[in-house]
Amino acid sequence: MSTLLTPPEEAIDAEVARSVASGRSVDARGLAFQAALLVALLTALAVLVWLLYSVVDGAVPVIQERGIGDFLSGKLSGSPARFGVSQGIRGSIGILVFVAIISFPLGVAAAVYLEEYATDNLFSRSVNVLVRNLAGVPAVVYGLLGLFVFKGLLGDLTGGSSLMSAGLTMAILVLPVVVITASEAIRAVPQPLREAGYGLGATQWEVVRSQVLPYAAPGILTGTVLSFARALGEAAPLLIIGTATGLLTASGGNILDQLQGNYTALPMLVYVATKRPATEWLSLASASALVLLVVLLVANSAAILARNHFEKRRS
Amino acid sequence: MQRSRLVVALVATAALSLLAVACGGDSESGGGSGSESGGGDLTGTIFATGSSTVEPITALVGESFNAENPGVDITVEGPGTGDGFKKFCAGEADISDASRKIKDEEIELCKAAGVEYVELAVASDALTVVTNVDNTAVSCLTLEDLYGLVGPESDSVATWAQASQFGATSQLPDAELKIFAPGQESGTYDSFVELALSKITEERLGEDPPKETRTFGGLADDNEIIRGIQSSPTSFGWVGFAFAEQAEVSEIQVDGGEGCVAPSAETVADGSYPLSRTLYIYVNQAKAQASPALQAFVTYYLANADQFVAEAGYVPLPADQLEASTAAWNAAIGGGSAAETTTTAAG
Repeated sequence: MSTLLTPPEEAIDAEVARSVASGRSVDARGLAFQAALLVALLTALAVLVWLLYSVVDGAVPVIQERGIGDFLSGKLSGSPARFGVSQGIRGSIGILVFVAIISFPLGVAAAVYLEEYATDNLFSRSVNVLVRNLAGVPAVVYGLLGLFVFKGLLGDLTGGSSLMSAGLTMAILVLPVVVITASEAIRAVPQPLREAGYGLGATQWEVVRSQVLPYAAPGILTGTVLSFARALGEAAPLLIIGTATGLLTASGGNILDQLQGNYTALPMLVYVATKRPATEWLSLASASALVLLVVLLVANSAAILARNHFEKRRS
Repeated sequence: MQRSRLVVALVATAALSLLAVACGGDSESGGGSGSESGGGDLTGTIFATGSSTVEPITALVGESFNAENPGVDITVEGPGTGDGFKKFCAGEADISDASRKIKDEEIELCKAAGVEYVELAVASDALTVVTNVDNTAVSCLTLEDLYGLVGPESDSVATWAQASQFGATSQLPDAELKIFAPGQESGTYDSFVELALSKITEERLGEDPPKETRTFGGLADDNEIIRGIQSSPTSFGWVGFAFAEQAEVSEIQVDGGEGCVAPSAETVADGSYPLSRTLYIYVNQAKAQASPALQAFVTYYLANADQFVAEAGYVPLPADQLEASTAAWNAAIGGGSAAETTTTAAG
């Protein structure tokens, strides 16, 4: 605690200056404030550690008795002894593919337009406000959109309660987040960089392509990290669109059949397992949650690696 | 120039590799089930929705059926009995799992959409009245007591003892009554009203009595109820038999007029436990007649019901009722007039 409360060197210099100037030797209120901040940090950390501990602790019986491989390769089942997450992993990755293919290009393109091309008028301002508000809309509302539009109106194309419906809904759900973070990243590109480009006779397209986008790439990728995490974790839209929760046997088919077919996803497996009787199911819920966290971590690390790569190129 | 090409290449690679992973998982599972193909050469798809209580049974049956008939794709989900009937009556599902009988308004819904169905009882479940393990003062309740505690008149009842104001016959402790029970959307709620309260409600409140309990904050699922029961020493509630058996709660015996009976497989099977309910599957008649796979599935379901029902933690149906289900099913697919079967089933 005492080492944590020791201020860095610059602050010590400032402290000396302050005590000389004011004549008081100890800044009690300042120390109290610093201690309060530290308590806040430690509380947040403790809750996080506790959460992780309880998830891992709950998952241990499953991993010990079944082996991690058996649980990872298992499928939906009515029996806790056979229940596994392979279909959930597949569904969640499928949803991520939709997010990556749809939200990423659409969101970045929208951000480039808003920041680089759109003039500052009523239209662009209202679009900005709208997008910001959309980012805060609860996931359940997007679930309704999925239900009415993708499952209802476009049901013939998507196949109803299908991976495609879920993927499209999630892609729309994270789109505002991608637009906002990409906009922020593009706005942070120093103006002289653009002016230098124009000074060399580059067109706006050339400046955007060779100066703005590469410079903003790390920030844009941070946005995709956030959106991936959200798309992976949300259960509410899936609950509304409907997923298989009891059993799912699929005998393959071509890619369109698979996209239009039934699916399940990791957050739904966690939800289903908490609703079943027996303590075994609760362990399975924890184990599924652990898998969800690991998948999230892997997806995030990939995006962070890509970001670091672009950051290195920039400097 | 080069840099932008790299961005495109990176994004494309990422997307493609994700896609490859997604598809790879499936082709593998398809190959796996194909290789263990035994005798069945049936193909088709079966979609079952409805009660989350019945879901594990249908899932177990489906798993086993699929192992023998890998060409049949089976999907089972469990959004709840009411939601299930909505989909079923819209013609979206082949089978609707139900933890209660179909309601009049749902019958109307099916009729309006032209969906004819056959109702098949598949399992029993004992609605188990539970309290905290420390609540040793209560071990048996009569139906009158249950009415006094949670009947539609009992909104003012705050302690167990006050249940006597509304006809409770047992001596109950003067302790706070904390109710943890399913919400109105649950089939478990409807079954309790039907089995425990409806008769006395009708006697006390006359014709067309309210089909509900007193008001309380209903809980979404049985595990929440169990946690609530465990949290308070004078708690009261009811859950499905499988949930009560798996948890550390005290099961209260129920006296339906012939002495106190504890819920168990035996007392449900011989009909002595007053709060035993039947679990059903409803099968879309037209779809069954068009699909040999669905026919085979339901036949397999009924033939092996007892085994899977026990595995899921429920109580097998009394033998005569299962025979009745099998007979109804055979009549339904044996070309018997669809309308006739529906009336028998619904009535």
